[in-house]
Amino acid sequence: MRLHYVLTVFRKEMLDMLRDRRTMISMVAMPVLVIPVILFFMGKLVGRAEERSQQEARRLGIAAQVSNPQIRAALEGLDLPLRTGLNPREAIERKEAAAGVVESALPDGRPRVELLTDRSNPTSAVTGEKIRTALTKLRESQVREGLKSANVPVTVLEPFALQQTNVASAKKMAGNLWGSMLGYMLLLLMFTGGMYPVIDMTAGEKERKTIEAFLASPVHRLEIVIGKILTATVAILVTAALTLASVTFSIRSENFSRTPEMKAMMQTIPLDGQNLALIALTLLPLAILAASMMIAIALFARSFKEGQSYLTPLAFLVIFPALMGGLPGLELSLVTALVPILNASQLIRGILLGEWTVPVFAMTLGANVVYAAIATVVATRTFNKESVLFRS
Amino acid sequence: MIAVQNLVKTFHDKARGSRHVVDDVSFEVREREIFGLLGPNGAGKTTTLRLIATLLKPDSGTAVINGFDINREPEKVRSQLGFLSGDMGLYGRLSPREILTFYGRLFGMGEAEIGRRSEELIERFAMKEFAGVRTDKLSTGMKQKTAIARTMLHNPPVLILDEPTSGLDVPTARTIEESILEFRKAGKTVLFSTHVMEEAEYLCDRIAVIHEGKIKITGTMDELRAATGRHRLREIFLDLLGLPVLTEN
Repeated sequence: MRLHYVLTVFRKEMLDMLRDRRTMISMVAMPVLVIPVILFFMGKLVGRAEERSQQEARRLGIAAQVSNPQIRAALEGLDLPLRTGLNPREAIERKEAAAGVVESALPDGRPRVELLTDRSNPTSAVTGEKIRTALTKLRESQVREGLKSANVPVTVLEPFALQQTNVASAKKMAGNLWGSMLGYMLLLLMFTGGMYPVIDMTAGEKERKTIEAFLASPVHRLEIVIGKILTATVAILVTAALTLASVTFSIRSENFSRTPEMKAMMQTIPLDGQNLALIALTLLPLAILAASMMIAIALFARSFKEGQSYLTPLAFLVIFPALMGGLPGLELSLVTALVPILNASQLIRGILLGEWTVPVFAMTLGANVVYAAIATVVATRTFNKESVLFRS
Repeated sequence: MIAVQNLVKTFHDKARGSRHVVDDVSFEVREREIFGLLGPNGAGKTTTLRLIATLLKPDSGTAVINGFDINREPEKVRSQLGFLSGDMGLYGRLSPREILTFYGRLFGMGEAEIGRRSEELIERFAMKEFAGVRTDKLSTGMKQKTAIARTMLHNPPVLILDEPTSGLDVPTARTIEESILEFRKAGKTVLFSTHVMEEAEYLCDRIAVIHEGKIKITGTMDELRAATGRHRLREIFLDLLGLPVLTEN
């Protein structure tokens, strides 16, 4: 194989690719524009939904059939209108009340309070939670008073104190939250980012009938296909880099974090030089694997459209393991390190959590290098098949 | 210059089974000759040319181009060839100048040589005005000029043209025909396929008629006339295909 011919093919393919609008949309516009817009609107939508829910609760209020003054006082303390004269169940169903409280008497005379909510309705569920907290607090205070008047120490109620402490640092928490979705987004967009240039270089070349003159030059087919794989790999890595930059920018921006605590946590996302280098190293063999695999498949297509229908199902093969890899509970082990895509998704999460080991990293990298090499061999063999190249 | 010896190529597909697309084809093209491969659609013209250009591998038989065997030295064979098809095969997002540079590099030319030769061809085919414009924005005539310049760039001794005028209007086809005659004047050997009788009759020194993968006849127009007893190429062609020649009566 002669490197200067590979580079000639690579330079031409890069030039051709950078002038293709479809490729630029999938490679640049998707990560740079679409991700921030989606995350921005997601943040806004969630914030607005919470606000709307609170407003609705204030407007609808609580349908109350309560006679006990203390219970009534506790409900009034919620700053929500108490509505009487309504059938609570029907009022909730007709969305005339956010929640309902019905007081009746137990056989021993104590009040029995029934809390009614529609758990399929977020406004009702949140209001119900507020009522439950307020009434639990009232009950506890009545118990304390009862114990006090009977001269029983409060320690009877609370024989020991229970305190829960989260030992995970803010950095780790951010890594956990972010690591679950970063690997998934990166891997999915890498495939979609490489898809258009790959189809253009293979099926597109056949459709435009440029392949004959290309093959009639003295360049070896191996040099041509390696040049194409190199171009697709660069496209995939550029998409990955832009996705990483875009997600980092979006998550650290004002609009994404709704609370100051969340914002502070997001600022601690562990994307230092070392982690970035580790993520890049993880993605490199995977990018070669994706490029070669897509080229081997798209070569069978006779047109751009056909190429799209061949490669689109591949995205589903990526989504599932990429999503699985981000889920907590599934630990990265020497066995899961052998499963392509899942291993990278898990490793990215592990890197962000600071929970990766050298053997697992080496196993993941080694496995993906082997898969990339196999895919490259398959792509070069496919490119040498007359029945594939001149399929009509 | 081109010696084709007993070339055989079989295609297999589920629908039609195995077919001899090129069946024991032999012919010779002499130096500075324009040789036409004439045949109906599906006769095996394109496959024969692809075999000679080493785009496909023959099942058996061989061809020797300017001393290089297609089976033994395919890269050297390709370095001797300029290949042009009716589809032109131009990269739409690249300008003619960029296409010439790319192909110059593929043919192992140095950067200075590519620049000099490109400018020479741009001048010769009056391409200066559009040499820097994306090819997908050019007219068919401009594209044809670009495709011819690309074929000529590395100054190959042999030109293989696969239905180069297919789908072109008469004035644009004329540009190609003019170039074919100029190629011969420049000392090139031209092998081209066509199904346009007038074109073959007008341009070719010798013609081979191919049908169902087999060469039916080879010779000059006079030799074809003598062998078939027909005068016009159209009549000779239909005769060889076993089809009746239409007359007014």
